[in-house]
Amino acid sequence: MKTRGALAVGVAVIGLGLALAGLGVNPYVYFAGYVVLQYVVIATAWNVLGGYAGYVNFGTPAFFALGAYTSIFLIEALRAPLPVLILSGGLVAALLGLGIGYLTLRLKGVFFSIATFALSVVLQTLIINWEYVGGAKGYTLIRPPVPFFRSWGVLLFTLMVALAVVTVLVARTIERSWIGRGLAALRDDEDAAECMGVPTLRLKLFATTLSGFFLGVAGAPFPYYVTYVEPSSAFDLNYAVNALAMPMIGGTTTWLGPVIGAVLLGTAQQVATVTISSELNLLIVGVVLVLFVVLAPEGLTGLVRKLRRR
Amino acid sequence: MMRLRTSTLPGWALVGAVAGTLVLAGAGVLVARAADPIRIGLGMALTGGLSANGKPALMAIRIWKDDVNKKGGLLGRPVELISYDDQTNPATVPGIYTKLLDVDKVDFVVSGYGTNLIAPLMPIAMERKLTIMGILGLANNEKYKYPNYFQIQPSGPDPEANWATGFFEIAARQNPKPQTIALIGADAEYPRHAIAGARELVKKFGFTAVYDKSYPPSTVDYTPIARAIKAVNPDIVFVASYPPDSVGMVRAAAEVGLQPKIFGGGMVGLQFTTVMTSLGPMLNGIVNYDFWAPEATMMFPGIKEFFAEYQKRAKEGGVDPLGYYLPPYAYSAVQILGLAIEGSKSLDQQKVADYIRSNEFSTIVGKVRFGANGEWAKSRVLQVQYQGIKGTDVEQFRVPGKKVVLYPEEFKSGNVIYPYSAAQK
Repeated sequence: MKTRGALAVGVAVIGLGLALAGLGVNPYVYFAGYVVLQYVVIATAWNVLGGYAGYVNFGTPAFFALGAYTSIFLIEALRAPLPVLILSGGLVAALLGLGIGYLTLRLKGVFFSIATFALSVVLQTLIINWEYVGGAKGYTLIRPPVPFFRSWGVLLFTLMVALAVVTVLVARTIERSWIGRGLAALRDDEDAAECMGVPTLRLKLFATTLSGFFLGVAGAPFPYYVTYVEPSSAFDLNYAVNALAMPMIGGTTTWLGPVIGAVLLGTAQQVATVTISSELNLLIVGVVLVLFVVLAPEGLTGLVRKLRRR
Repeated sequence: MMRLRTSTLPGWALVGAVAGTLVLAGAGVLVARAADPIRIGLGMALTGGLSANGKPALMAIRIWKDDVNKKGGLLGRPVELISYDDQTNPATVPGIYTKLLDVDKVDFVVSGYGTNLIAPLMPIAMERKLTIMGILGLANNEKYKYPNYFQIQPSGPDPEANWATGFFEIAARQNPKPQTIALIGADAEYPRHAIAGARELVKKFGFTAVYDKSYPPSTVDYTPIARAIKAVNPDIVFVASYPPDSVGMVRAAAEVGLQPKIFGGGMVGLQFTTVMTSLGPMLNGIVNYDFWAPEATMMFPGIKEFFAEYQKRAKEGGVDPLGYYLPPYAYSAVQILGLAIEGSKSLDQQKVADYIRSNEFSTIVGKVRFGANGEWAKSRVLQVQYQGIKGTDVEQFRVPGKKVVLYPEEFKSGNVIYPYSAAQK
């Protein structure tokens, strides 16, 4: 599919989202849909670094929470509107990505992953002790009257549809550009790529920055969704687990993998929470992840590719 | 080539994302039935950090439902409970409660357990003008001032300060009066509130704070903290902590021989049966907040029958075998809701809320009346002292005299053993 076609699909999806928002279906759809779409953004953002470049980031909660807490800071200080929050949340998280990239990208494999995990712990400790954004007590947001839409649920859902489409389109563009090919080269063999003239450090910095940006974007509207943010839920390890599991299930080498993974796993988790029991929630993730690693290491997209090749 | 072929899928996948959520909700729409039973919905922590308390709380609420249905239900209609696991995660709360309200069409909602899980429910309830019963939240309504919020924990009209008032009053009454105090609390939601309240009380009662520090919630070794406090040798040690740190602090104090004249205050967890049986005699002498103890002064109508049923079910369910802390309050929260539905003869949110606001209720935790901010009109946070505990047998905690109620006066069941070291002999 050509870029123009992809853009058309993107616009169509946003249109569909708007139509759904206008339909006035059951409000629960918007809340559940928001969470699933939030995971589409998170998984796609994670995949730019984790999938394309092969650097496994366990620090997803740090970037996500940074987006959320940037929003809180701006709400508290300036009463900033939502678009400003999203952009700022993304930019601050992107800066963190860039900084962390400089500091940690000389580490490889599991050492890089541990460093990103540590980042999450450090940042959480800082937030716990920062009273201005609620500190350990948490921050309660009183939402203003909702602009343009019927309710905050509908607004946030529509917003997340748009954010998901933008994120996926950006990821797709990167994958198909020289940057994507460069990232793929360094994923396969960094030394060889370097020898061939691939600017590995610059590419990796680009990937951490962009990945951080979209993770921050995903976190920025979170205070409006949950209205109460406290460090232990904003830095929830679930975000790290899901951000890794979703692309693994869908397939990490294409932009489509994280989308499929997030939709499947995200929906399954939402359904499990209100049907069976969420005790099974993490178990579902664990079992599915193990199955995929063993049976389809390249995820669903990889599996389909393999089947077609036959 | 292969890559190009897979890329014909994107439209479908993205449409699938939207369609998936539609299907998900569509299924829910179909199961919404005609309103025959009265439905009460809630999210409860059945997994995650608070699950050890969430499970007994849900069990208590189910006991209430069975009790009510045995007596013919409410307004002649049976009561049905719908509950989901909030995983102790505030982020799940908006989804769970919109599901309850819009798909399951519940008539009333009750909160989950704890401040963090009540907070995200507040705006949802306010937008829809619901009556909410909160289960053990601390100062949730201070920012919102929502008139239809009621909370069952007996913290009283000024939750932060009322929390530890009893502890400070007891300390101030001793002769010779203790002078210096150490304040220690975790960097977490409840301890921050409790310590803030305690600081005010330090001033009010004229003590001198010689140590005032916090520790990160992930701390595992408490001996350095206990040693640091011992080094300043305070007369009083006030601790505000969550269950794992409470256990850690008590053990560390025993290990390093920290012996102030009065020790305790705001330790969550010491009320739980498993903690009591694991600490055993180390508890002796500690003065700590509590909500209920098997003392003669606390035997309200219906509480014995409740515990008989609860303890039977707890054995089968493998949860807290005594259930003295949270379960009777979870039961009372829904008991009040039920009484208000019957009393106002209505399912109208506003009428039920008005009824709760203007009446006193006789519950299994005693008489309850709510004040302007939805908290108990008068604080009834108990201060108890652990006395004469031998070994780790669970049976000893069923009888009076082990957790003696010192405060407030009207529920007092014994005298404080002072100083702390005397109670340890």
